[in-house]
Amino acid sequence: MLEKGRISSFQLSVLLVGFVLGSSIIITPGGDAGHDAWIAIALGLMEGSLIALIFTALVLRFKDKTIIEINDLVFGKVIGKLISVLFLWYFLHLGALVLNDYVHFFRLELYPATPRTVMLLIIMLVCASTVNRGIEALARCSLILVPLTISVIFLVTMFLIPHFNLNNLMPILDLPIGKLLWSAHSVASFPFAESVVFVMILAFLNKSEKGGRAVSKALIIAGLVLIIASIRNSAVLGPMVAAYNYPSYQAVQVIDIRDIFTRLEILVAINFITMGFLKISVLLYGTVLGLAQVLNLQSYRPIILPVGILMVILALTNVANTIELFDFTHKIYPIYAVPFQIIIPLITLIIAKLRQLPKTDGGIP
Amino acid sequence: MKATKKVSPVNLSRKLEDNLKNIKDILGESSDIIIREMKISSNANVDAAVIYIDGLVDRDLVSRDILQPLMFNLQFVKDKTNQKHSSLLGCIKSSVLSVGQIKADGNIDSIVSSIMTGYTAILAQGANQALVIDTKGWEKRAIESPENEISIRGPKDSFTETLRINTALLRRKIRDPNLSLVSMQIGQRSKTDVVIAYIKGITPDNLIEEIKQRLKRIDTDAILDIGYIEQYIEENPLSLVPTVGTSERPDVVTARMLEGRAAILVDGSPMALTVPFLFVEGFQNPDDYYARPFFASFVRIIRLLGFLLSIYLPGIYVALKSFHPELFPTPLLITVAAAREGHPFPVVLEALLMLILFEILREAGLRLPRSLGQAVSIVGALVIGQAAVSAGLVGAPMVIVVAATAIASFMVVPFADTGALFRLIMTIVAGFLGLFGMIIISLEVLSHLAALRSLGVPYLSPVTPLNTSDLIKDTWLRAPLWALGSRPAFLDPLDKKRQSPDQKPHPPQNNPNERKS
Amino acid sequence: MKNRQQGKISLVILLSIISVFIVGCWDSRELSTLSLIAGLGFDLDPATKRATLTYQSIVPSQVKPSPSMGGGEGKQTGSGGLQSIQLDHDTGLSPYEVLNRYTQHGSRIPFYQHTQVIVIGKAAAEHGLYPFLDTVIRNPAGRPNILLAISDNKASDILAVEDGMENIQAVGMANIIKLSARFSKYPAVTCLDFTSRFIGKTTAPVAPIMGVFEETGPEGKRQKKIRINGTAVFKGDKMIGKLNEQESSGLLWVINQIEKGFVIIPEASLEIIGSKTKIIPELTGGKIKITVEIEEEANLIQYNNARNITPDLIHQLEKAQAREIESQVKAVIKKSMALNADIFDFGGAVHRKYKKEWKKMEPRWDDIYPTIEVSVKVKTRLDEIGDINKAIMTE
Repeated sequence: MLEKGRISSFQLSVLLVGFVLGSSIIITPGGDAGHDAWIAIALGLMEGSLIALIFTALVLRFKDKTIIEINDLVFGKVIGKLISVLFLWYFLHLGALVLNDYVHFFRLELYPATPRTVMLLIIMLVCASTVNRGIEALARCSLILVPLTISVIFLVTMFLIPHFNLNNLMPILDLPIGKLLWSAHSVASFPFAESVVFVMILAFLNKSEKGGRAVSKALIIAGLVLIIASIRNSAVLGPMVAAYNYPSYQAVQVIDIRDIFTRLEILVAINFITMGFLKISVLLYGTVLGLAQVLNLQSYRPIILPVGILMVILALTNVANTIELFDFTHKIYPIYAVPFQIIIPLITLIIAKLRQLPKTDGGIP
Repeated sequence: MKATKKVSPVNLSRKLEDNLKNIKDILGESSDIIIREMKISSNANVDAAVIYIDGLVDRDLVSRDILQPLMFNLQFVKDKTNQKHSSLLGCIKSSVLSVGQIKADGNIDSIVSSIMTGYTAILAQGANQALVIDTKGWEKRAIESPENEISIRGPKDSFTETLRINTALLRRKIRDPNLSLVSMQIGQRSKTDVVIAYIKGITPDNLIEEIKQRLKRIDTDAILDIGYIEQYIEENPLSLVPTVGTSERPDVVTARMLEGRAAILVDGSPMALTVPFLFVEGFQNPDDYYARPFFASFVRIIRLLGFLLSIYLPGIYVALKSFHPELFPTPLLITVAAAREGHPFPVVLEALLMLILFEILREAGLRLPRSLGQAVSIVGALVIGQAAVSAGLVGAPMVIVVAATAIASFMVVPFADTGALFRLIMTIVAGFLGLFGMIIISLEVLSHLAALRSLGVPYLSPVTPLNTSDLIKDTWLRAPLWALGSRPAFLDPLDKKRQSPDQKPHPPQNNPNERKS
Repeated sequence: MKNRQQGKISLVILLSIISVFIVGCWDSRELSTLSLIAGLGFDLDPATKRATLTYQSIVPSQVKPSPSMGGGEGKQTGSGGLQSIQLDHDTGLSPYEVLNRYTQHGSRIPFYQHTQVIVIGKAAAEHGLYPFLDTVIRNPAGRPNILLAISDNKASDILAVEDGMENIQAVGMANIIKLSARFSKYPAVTCLDFTSRFIGKTTAPVAPIMGVFEETGPEGKRQKKIRINGTAVFKGDKMIGKLNEQESSGLLWVINQIEKGFVIIPEASLEIIGSKTKIIPELTGGKIKITVEIEEEANLIQYNNARNITPDLIHQLEKAQAREIESQVKAVIKKSMALNADIFDFGGAVHRKYKKEWKKMEPRWDDIYPTIEVSVKVKTRLDEIGDINKAIMTE
């Protein structure tokens, strides 16, 4: 076993909340649905939960086995490894995309002159050192960071209530149904179904039977937070919500309570750093652990930094500019992610059912 | 093992001269070693010797209760068995000497080490055993009130340098026979007594085993202070934060033992170590438990705030000023900018200068004799507070920030030195990368703390891993004592229950003494 | 073995972090290298199409940091003059080009995060604001809640007038705008409000108009002051008209932005306690009818006639007050119909209620808007009558 740590289902939930909030805390998903974004998020949450059902069912069927080992069991060594590599690519690519979000946001709003390589390397070093400390340390970090982040979101929302104009949310469902569904699907693929990376982590639950509930609870909590943030942004920014790249950041700039509680937007940036840190760490962890399992390594620790650097390089080269990044995340990503999030886990689950795997334990939950 | 001893017989022989010679060989010619030779037995015909080290023994005790009985009282013993030399010592032990702790020993090494710790040895011609009598009685400091951990309402006693007094202080607090004191000697040369104190039935056995293992691993020549032990048994010695707690207060140590911790006491150190030590303990103070719960909780939160301020405040100030001036409210920014105008140094440098100057002052003030320390602080206050500002070298807001930080840094004593390092790191990082850098470093520190363990217990418990009832009851808040029904679960105590439930005081249902108005 | 490897890795990490920090601080900007722009003025010469920006920057060394220091210098504190701010002008073809010109004469980097107010010259407003507006909101250096004001002449004139109370004139100007909004005279409009209306296509942006006037000071000197004297109405990015004082309060009644303030009727003055406005659109047979429902509550603060106040009288006063409010609202509605500018967001109200029909209406809104039938319903309530319950003089 490459990972000796075990996490409780509660820790898993919290980590998953942090993961989902990840970069969506700053790039409110469903932005192309305008003021109906919150409906898109709610629908996306449903779709995302269904997707999560598939992969949790798959992983929890094989107690304490990661997807890599499951692939080997279900598809045999060769095809299994091939599929595993596909997954690893997805995790790596996703990590690079989150890094991209990071860099684009910070270079636009706070650090225009700092070279992106430096910024990426600094973030990657911190994530790598956390991954090096194992899944337990990561889960414990999330236990502190996620409640802090959520309370900051609520605090900021409270401060913004005087600026709410609920008319901005009307009329509800002011969107062709097709567009709304597409928006909902894109919300499902980012951020909810990205939790598919937890196929690498669910194996380390100390009580695996609680895994399913933990995952769905976490998705719902994260979804609620995102819905609140989305409603807040729409109510404050009005029609401009669709125009801004980072609506949360802009909305918080509006806060002005007696000229003292103002200029709190750095809180949003801090939230983004911490949640992005969790997301990148989880993705890096998934990639590294998976690679170590594919390559039959004794320990995943030596390859953390190389894979991390690879992720940085990918982040530096995969998109040319912000608009390309947004275009990719809005138009291509929702389709690109489908095989990894839905199709492969579903096929694996079906084959596993047909072949009645796992055999040895006898008792299938 | 170093070859410190010459090859010498291990056991006493029956010949007094040989024994004395052997012991002298080991002890050497030091002037404080007293070997008093005499003739004892009822007819004063047996050669004997009394050996002790002057200064370590209670002279009154030796002369009154050992030498005198041996030389005079022995003659009145009518027991005929004393004619036989072999049982002479047995007779002395059983019916002559009126001291408490006395034992027979035949091993030269252990006799010598007993002598070195203040025992008195009696050797007699024809006996291959020596009587070793506890006559420890050196000059010792009296029990004084604690100097560093001051409490307002709590007891005013503190540990001293003498191990026995310290253990006695613990015994006086807990009269439970389950209070166990396991002792061992550490140090090739110093042979320091070390005691592990714990309460059987509360402290988990594996913890005690682990501590014993770690103490046994220590192979060094001297343990001069408890700090030596601390550095040898820490789980992550390269961490910036301490994972072993210290206290000079018996009440704190007993309270921690009652929660399921173990204490380590060392002879010659007025401090006790307690393990496991968790992050939140640094914010707890005995007074929290002696005061009423609301204020105690408030003070704990203030402590956390002060700790965070002492680490982050200079960094935040530097970051805001040199990276994020947009985050100041406008009126404040104008004031700050006006105060900043015309100062030669960048803010980081200014901050570092002040912080390091403060550390210098602190260290100088700490080490100097008290009378000189006064002078240093006056000069420091004048130089920093007045001259630097009016000369335009340092901005007035910076002085405020550093002063506030300095005061806040002393609120949480266990982390005061750690905090100073973090503060410097944060300030430097803030100067180079602004708030982003500070957050990144904080994340790194957080993940380090999250992975850290103290004797197997996660350092950040009960915050993470979460234990809700402990978190609410006795972490940042302090529930009333009657509500603290169980010991902290993260310490995994054997006896979880602390007290019976439902002890919330309430007025009597029907008061017989109700006054008529 | 494992430990040594970890040690090496952490050494590498440490070294790289240190080296990053040593070469770092790319974005560090010392306060003493920044010029804090408190107010920004934008003018356009319609003939040459050249833009002029006026920067009002704070001179920190002239701002008195503490009140105690002023005491000794007697003369300086009396009238600080314009020493604490500095005005600069630049001219160029596009707004951003002008922004960049600042570095040619400024000794410090301009910093816009603390800009209080942006003043736009009348000529520029009438010519079209889009390029300037885009510059302001696209640039992350700006903030969404900067106040906007239109100058009734040139923006640079306004920024040059000193404020009696505040050290920094732009702060004073921002306070004037906020105060007038709090007392429900003229709307306070931030960049965000302006652009939100702008992006809404059918809704017309508005902004307060400020003007300079002269009055005689206490020592007989002529003194310049600024005051708000109207509300500018935009269509798209062009200013097309102006609301006077009465119409401006009418606007605030309709868009539910009444906070405090007064209603003056011939025989009494009333202080507004609270007010709530509902805009209820109705679509019947392709025609839109809009009902503006205002519920207002006020206190009596002045009564001109020497009569005791009776419930009947209160009733009359309530009615008179309703008539006054109605006349204000009707005036502004008439004006907006004349300008064909939907400053009330009636379009939005229709959109919220009839989202299907709206799709067809939206492109033709300019034709529909002037034909909308608007009815105003005002319900008022008089609550307190003040400290006295008897007239102090009887007829």
